[in-house]
Amino acid sequence: MSVTQHFSTGRSTFCGLKRTSQDRKVPGPVAFLLFCLALLMMSAPVFAAGTVPGAVAPPDTFNGDDVAQPIEFPHDIHAKVNQINCMYCHTYARRSKVAGIPPTSKCLGCHSIIATDKPRIKQLTEYWEKNEPPKWKKVHDVPDFVHFTHEKHLKRFVFDNDEMPVERVSEVCAFCHGEVKEMTVAKKTKPLTMGFCRRCHEANNGPFDCWKCHK
Amino acid sequence: MSLDKVKRRDFLKIMGWGGAGATLVGCDMPTTVTLEEGKEEVVSYLAPEEFVIPGIGVWYASTCQQCPAACGMHGRVREGRVLKLEGNPDSSVNAGALCQMGQAGLQGHYNPDRVTKPMARKGGTLVEISWSEALAMLDEKAGSKSGLNGDRMAWVTGAVSGHQSVMINAHLASVGSRNHYVQEVVNDAVWRAVCSDMLGSSNPLLRLDKAGVVLSFGADFLGTWGSPVHFASQYSKFRTSPRGTLVQVEPKMTLTGSNADLWLPARPGTEGVLALGIAHELMTAHGITNVPAQFKELISGYGLNRVAEETGLSAEHIRRAAKLLKDSAPSLVLAGASAQGHEHGYQCVAAAMMLNIMLGNVGKTIEAGSEVPFNQMRPNTGGSRDLLTFAEALDKDGYDVVFFYGANPVYTAPEALKMADKLGKVGFKVALSQFEDETTAMADLVLPLASTLEDWGTHVSAVQTGAAEISVQQPLMEKLYADTRGFGDIMLDMLKMRKSNAYSGFDDYYAYLRNAIKNMPAGSKKNATADDWDKALQTGLLAVNGKSGALTSRSVNIDMPKTDSNQQYPLHLIPSARLGLWDGRHANLPWLQEAPDQITKIVWDSWAELHPKTAARLGIKQGDNIRITSSQGSIEARVYLYKGISQDAVAVPLGQGHEGYGRYAKGIGVNPLKILNPATDRKTGELALFGTRVSVSAGSSNGTEALVRLGGSETQVGRKLVATISADVFERTEGGA
Repeated sequence: MSVTQHFSTGRSTFCGLKRTSQDRKVPGPVAFLLFCLALLMMSAPVFAAGTVPGAVAPPDTFNGDDVAQPIEFPHDIHAKVNQINCMYCHTYARRSKVAGIPPTSKCLGCHSIIATDKPRIKQLTEYWEKNEPPKWKKVHDVPDFVHFTHEKHLKRFVFDNDEMPVERVSEVCAFCHGEVKEMTVAKKTKPLTMGFCRRCHEANNGPFDCWKCHK
Repeated sequence: MSLDKVKRRDFLKIMGWGGAGATLVGCDMPTTVTLEEGKEEVVSYLAPEEFVIPGIGVWYASTCQQCPAACGMHGRVREGRVLKLEGNPDSSVNAGALCQMGQAGLQGHYNPDRVTKPMARKGGTLVEISWSEALAMLDEKAGSKSGLNGDRMAWVTGAVSGHQSVMINAHLASVGSRNHYVQEVVNDAVWRAVCSDMLGSSNPLLRLDKAGVVLSFGADFLGTWGSPVHFASQYSKFRTSPRGTLVQVEPKMTLTGSNADLWLPARPGTEGVLALGIAHELMTAHGITNVPAQFKELISGYGLNRVAEETGLSAEHIRRAAKLLKDSAPSLVLAGASAQGHEHGYQCVAAAMMLNIMLGNVGKTIEAGSEVPFNQMRPNTGGSRDLLTFAEALDKDGYDVVFFYGANPVYTAPEALKMADKLGKVGFKVALSQFEDETTAMADLVLPLASTLEDWGTHVSAVQTGAAEISVQQPLMEKLYADTRGFGDIMLDMLKMRKSNAYSGFDDYYAYLRNAIKNMPAGSKKNATADDWDKALQTGLLAVNGKSGALTSRSVNIDMPKTDSNQQYPLHLIPSARLGLWDGRHANLPWLQEAPDQITKIVWDSWAELHPKTAARLGIKQGDNIRITSSQGSIEARVYLYKGISQDAVAVPLGQGHEGYGRYAKGIGVNPLKILNPATDRKTGELALFGTRVSVSAGSSNGTEALVRLGGSETQVGRKLVATISADVFERTEGGA
């Protein structure tokens, strides 16, 4: 596994504001006001009553970058067209803090038979034959000083939630990952900032101690 | 509201609202830690083991290699990386604990200054070469066709044990050499010699937990003597119900001394005199008559007044120490670095051991130990004598080929031995090393070792635990650098060059070890089963049936010299070791540089410790830069004033003053070993580490650099953070209740 670097690019996103060409023309003081406004808008989000029983889905949105992956993995074909459960591939989500990228052997479990003539599968098979897993680009992450665990969140919203069948787990995943089943490669559509976490914890009676996340 | 038309009033309104939500909205700022998408790589397993779950650690057993105690260790491995080290609860050495040096083993493994490729000296500098080139060079210089004569080859190592020791011996034997120098500056070599002479065993089992009082002559058993982790666990039992009493005699307060009930800074070199004085007091005032005839006459010359005068201690303190030994029996008397580090070091330690015999401790708090039945695997703990004998041998005929492993004589040898110059005369120097330390930097061939967390091995602890155990070292993760090799693997390659028949059956050291453990006589294993090897890997330990013999109580000649004063060099130099940098081998681990000295709280530096009264006499203030001069040279350091030191001494800690050894060690502080007189203990030949006399004068400049201390204030500045009460007030108001 390659050594990851968290601080390589310094600060270039600022609430996602800096990305549009229009914003770059905005002079300093006005940009500051724009920022204040943005904060205000974020401070009073509207929690829509979601479809997940016993839970309030976070309404925040984020317009992330399109990330080029070594193989353009189609989440839509797997999760939407073929109705494969998220946890079939991201099998560690219910057991560990990380959901895990599925091992290459798992991909080959199906794709040594299915769709072997498709260009993306040929690409995958090449990796497998070289004994080398693809180097995916990370899309969703929280800082090292944040202890986030998939296991506890799935427990709260799915496994301890009697009215929520495990078949519908993707709706819970979508709280933080957005509608991945509508995407090919994943794109960040939720801000994943502390405010985002905090508001959702408030709406869903999650733990509120500092040390729950900052251990 | 259009943004470019925001008025001052609107702005204030906005800020007014903002105030209410300020604590909330702050959380939405992606501050300096902006996690951008697509910048980091995340790689899955190709085909994981069933038990592997990303995010959840798997613990493997191995053996710590940070000091010769060889504690059992567990390492947490997650996503193929070792992340945390802890003690192995099943190990008889450390019973689940691991000291800061052990914990910092991770930083040796992930150190950015690792040697990653073989290097050879070409045109005066070390250049990277391939392994095939390196092995060809080895074969040419030390292979079977090299014509290397046994007397012309030597191994210089640190303490070794287990199959690494077996391999080194096999290599020496294959060349027909007996030259194995085992160099350890922080050691208990004189204690071992005295135990061997007086008790008939060099490594008896010490039972602090059974003692009611421990009298320690400079044995820093909580810091640097034997295994601090092993003794700390005994110490906690010794201190509970009923609470044992600790009396520590030493010229500079150690971690152990700071825990003592009675701390006696006897004048350096008078530890033996004090032991004889206490013996005198025990005989005359407490009616202990169980004294070998040989000692009786000697002891009779050491009356209270003479001893008080020579040691600089009060008669009352000596009386109290003797009374404690008698009243709180069973007792245990130990002797360590500051007692053994003199020209009459053996005599000092023997006088302490004589107290054990007089007090009847042999068989009570000193028991017969249990040794691993295989001689070759027993720990070869060495000492500082091998620095001197190695330097002498280099002077006399020199060597054609010298191998270095786990020893850094260029750094540890006093300047007077001229080690670097003498090594220049060795034809071919081979360093097996993880780092480019001072000795490695002089080598002609550098073989990069896998880290201790990537390598195989078996170890036997240098400390006697009463249980004969072989501790297994196994890799906790894949090698970080493909071109590093395990020590055993390199040894096998070298042995194959000499005796290909005997070793050709082993592809690697793993195969060799597995075979060795499988073929160990069943009678020597405890609870032998068919899957011994798997069990050894799971538990990290292989219990064997130990050998032990009864202890004896023999007398030796004790000839205590009269202490002398020295006008030119009035002070004694104390090169003090601490649990952390040890003898300097851990100076390249930033966690240990950053962990403050246990007494002074100073980090990342050298300093000179002086008693405030001595400093006042010499006109020296806290933080002054001073020059410490011996007949062999001088060093400079800033002064730290502290009452926990003899008024006749100046202490400079070991471990700093590296000229190489990577970015964290290089260029920090000074090395007190450099200015030592190369005097030796007359009986054992060990370097008299505490026997150097020095003078102190003003240093070259005061500059602006200050000593960096954690804390910074010695007092509570009148704030009563910790309420205190004097002992006599407590006695009067609450005592006896």
